[in-house]
Amino acid sequence: MLRIASGSVYDPANGVAGEVRDVCLSEGKVVEDVPAHAPRIDARGMVVMPGGVDIHAHIAGPKVNAARRLAPEEHRADVVDRSAVLRSGTGGTVPSTFVTGYRYALLGYTTVVEAATPPLAARHVLAELRDTPIIDAAFLLLMGNNLALFDLIRRDPARVRDAIAWWLGATGGYGVKLVNPGGVELWKRANGNVTSLDDEVAGVTPRRVIDAIAGAVHELALPHPVHVHCNNLGVAGNWRTTLDTLQTLEGRRAHLAHIQFHAYGGRPGGRPRSRAPELAEYLGAHPELSADVGQVMFGPATTMTADAPVSALLRDVTGGKWVNADTEVETGCGIVPFTYREKNYVHALQWGIGLELFLLSRDPWRLVLSTDHPNGGSFLSYPRLIRLLMDREFRNEQLRRANKRAIRRTVLLEDLEREYTLEEIAIVTRAGPARLLGLRDKGHLGAGADADVTIYDERADREEMFATPRHVIKSGRPVVRDGELVEARAGELLRVSAPYDPAIDYVLRAQFEERYSVQFDSYPVREPWLLEPARRVLAGRS
Amino acid sequence: MPSPEPAGAPLTWAATCGGCGLVCDDIEVVVGERGGLEHLIRTCPLGDAWFAERVAPGPPLARVDGREAELDGALDQAAAILSQARAPLVYGLGQTTCDAQRAAVALAEAIGAVIDPAGTVLDGASGLAYQTLGASTATLGDIRDRAEVVVVWRADPVATHPRLFERLGLPDPDRELVVIDERRTATAAQADAFLELPADRDVEALWTLRALVRDTPIADEAAVERPLRDLAARLTACRNGAILHRVRGHVEVLALHALVRDLCRVTHIVALMLRREGNAAGAEDVLAWQTGYPAAVSFARGHPRASPGELDAAAVLERGEADAALVVGSDPLEQLPPAAAERLRAIPVVSVDPRDTATAAAARIAFTTAAPGVHRAGVVHRLDGVPIPLRSPLASSRPSDDEVLAAIAERLARPREALA
Repeated sequence: MLRIASGSVYDPANGVAGEVRDVCLSEGKVVEDVPAHAPRIDARGMVVMPGGVDIHAHIAGPKVNAARRLAPEEHRADVVDRSAVLRSGTGGTVPSTFVTGYRYALLGYTTVVEAATPPLAARHVLAELRDTPIIDAAFLLLMGNNLALFDLIRRDPARVRDAIAWWLGATGGYGVKLVNPGGVELWKRANGNVTSLDDEVAGVTPRRVIDAIAGAVHELALPHPVHVHCNNLGVAGNWRTTLDTLQTLEGRRAHLAHIQFHAYGGRPGGRPRSRAPELAEYLGAHPELSADVGQVMFGPATTMTADAPVSALLRDVTGGKWVNADTEVETGCGIVPFTYREKNYVHALQWGIGLELFLLSRDPWRLVLSTDHPNGGSFLSYPRLIRLLMDREFRNEQLRRANKRAIRRTVLLEDLEREYTLEEIAIVTRAGPARLLGLRDKGHLGAGADADVTIYDERADREEMFATPRHVIKSGRPVVRDGELVEARAGELLRVSAPYDPAIDYVLRAQFEERYSVQFDSYPVREPWLLEPARRVLAGRS
Repeated sequence: MPSPEPAGAPLTWAATCGGCGLVCDDIEVVVGERGGLEHLIRTCPLGDAWFAERVAPGPPLARVDGREAELDGALDQAAAILSQARAPLVYGLGQTTCDAQRAAVALAEAIGAVIDPAGTVLDGASGLAYQTLGASTATLGDIRDRAEVVVVWRADPVATHPRLFERLGLPDPDRELVVIDERRTATAAQADAFLELPADRDVEALWTLRALVRDTPIADEAAVERPLRDLAARLTACRNGAILHRVRGHVEVLALHALVRDLCRVTHIVALMLRREGNAAGAEDVLAWQTGYPAAVSFARGHPRASPGELDAAAVLERGEADAALVVGSDPLEQLPPAAAERLRAIPVVSVDPRDTATAAAARIAFTTAAPGVHRAGVVHRLDGVPIPLRSPLASSRPSDDEVLAAIAERLARPREALA
């Protein structure tokens, strides 16, 4: 039991915005009250929020590990010692698993979504998540370049829904991710890509894939809608592809990943410009759609994506380290370490577009915070991003330092004076992502919610405030006390439970025998040590 | 607990073979009425040997100086040796499950050890080249279904990975198989083209290929052999190609990665190292996700630090630094260079292995455990990184290796005097 007494509580899901009140926790849940003798944290003068929820990050699995192995110089410069309660490790933009868990907790985040898992590698992702302590984690399955699904979409579209539910059940996944649908398959064939939603790939088109899979996810009523990384990422003029994708989805719920990378005007091959206002407008007018921003932050990053053709372009930009890894049937993978520089036109434009999207957003519940960690920057840069949103003077000072021509291509200098409030920050960093993920026990502090709570000292410097929470409580247990990590127990796997017609087994077995290099019976994850402790979130409308 | 999965006939169980990096997961084990192995379906000779070594009646569960000992006492002694060592070494790992690897890394951290998987000794030093340039790679299914040209560079998979070609659908009249090696191996005998290359000429040949691929002028054009020109032409002309290799040295691997990268600007090329051990890839993966580095990691300073070359197991032994060793599922006395093996004989060794090896026989403390993949389930990473489940077609009353490692670790956590 625990009473967090007299803090300024920000719980937007329950309409609480800075009211001074107690938050009571018992047996891992928020409760109405606890007895007077319960231990208490004196939170007077502090800000109390639900634990942070990261809707889109890359923290575990073969792609992340390949990137980790690529950056010994970052690890050498950032070490974490073993202690009585902590394992040792290394940091940088791609920290070791233990350090990933510790640093998310130290940042006040208690739930993280790994956004791109090749289903074939689910065991690897699960094993890394098991070594990523404290946080609860979910992962999204890459399904946008799956040849077996393409085949079903062409020949037996009614089965797509069962196949997706089978895949989620077989791997422990939470939701469905599309990455450059069709384009990655062409890349693996002969370094190709798609440029429009109507290019033909293996008898389907990106549009048909988006339509079929979004439809299937909608019919299954998964707690999180289809999570889309659009075609043409990073390409000048790609905002038209993004709009085309949104129009293809129309009427059905969908979440667009890192929309900043898909909001560029201009002509392909030419200089990009901002189309953030148009996309913000479209999102605002369509309540069934949501997005995370994918903010770029100046400094080091590691780009890692299933969108392998994009990585090849970045390779040609940096001339540095590059990894390409093709996964049979399902997906590709590309990795390029990258540094965003404020004087560089493109980087400054990307940075500016992210801020435009935030500042023009009409509904913080549907446009939430991400840096697409570590693609746009590490999750450790969230506090600085929060300051950019909350502190106009700080933002204007940063604007003056960035490439001027790029900033002139945005509307940032045109009296975008908006400053996010603490309530809005609470929405874009926890309440909103939790709602978009369909995690009803996360992101709020009403009775019955998970007892994941972050307590900040109220400070004028919002970057400092959000970088160093005073206390963090996970599942009712204090894990950060006075800024120090005191405990690092395992978090839970959050997985979806979606029923399907068992006859899909026969259909998929035939697909597997033709396409995979592993046996059908080897594919589903059955190892209890990889799947527990887990919480199942039921699909279906209620 | 053994939990066999039926695969047809009542006494036939599905299994995965750990005999090489391919970890074929289509094996069937036919079990006799008394629970023993009768015969194996779809194994290759390496697989037959792998299973045979693990079902042979092993030595006692625990031995101290070669003599049978009580398990508890042996665990106490193992913990004492490792905790009292100034510079312990943890070695092996490539033949066990990711879970045992995980336990071994935790133990290495707890005792401040250097930990180094056997892959560097068995497969060569590839880590630095990866860290310098990166890589382009693919899983077996994609190589089977997409590669129009398959180059086997200084490898003899017919001997080392006997089912590789079967699994890649090779030879195939529609795809080209090119083999490069110093002599006509069994693998070369199956090739459409064989390029004879002396063992010390990898860098020269790879650099020449780079020049040809990049269309860079070569000083002595006439000296470039025809087969190299043909190979460059084949690779640049295909839409998708794969290079399977056992290139060992740092510079050689770097040259290979550089060639692959050049080729990738022209077409889609991947490379895959044919690792020997069933979970060599997993050993590097587990170490990397827990520490940031795939090999040659020291915990001596309380945090991970890596230095390939300097902190390789062989180097640490040859310099006489290691003063105790924990060997997990490996036989370093049979693998290490002589000077390193000699040092290993001179220091107290704790061996944890399902087999009876030369290292186990010579060890101060030896635990002979249940065998992953035969008696215990688990997960390994195939040579292309794909996680593959190991099954447990047979039963054993012995503890598994990760249980032994955890029992040693648990003793380390006790107060020091209790170990003396």
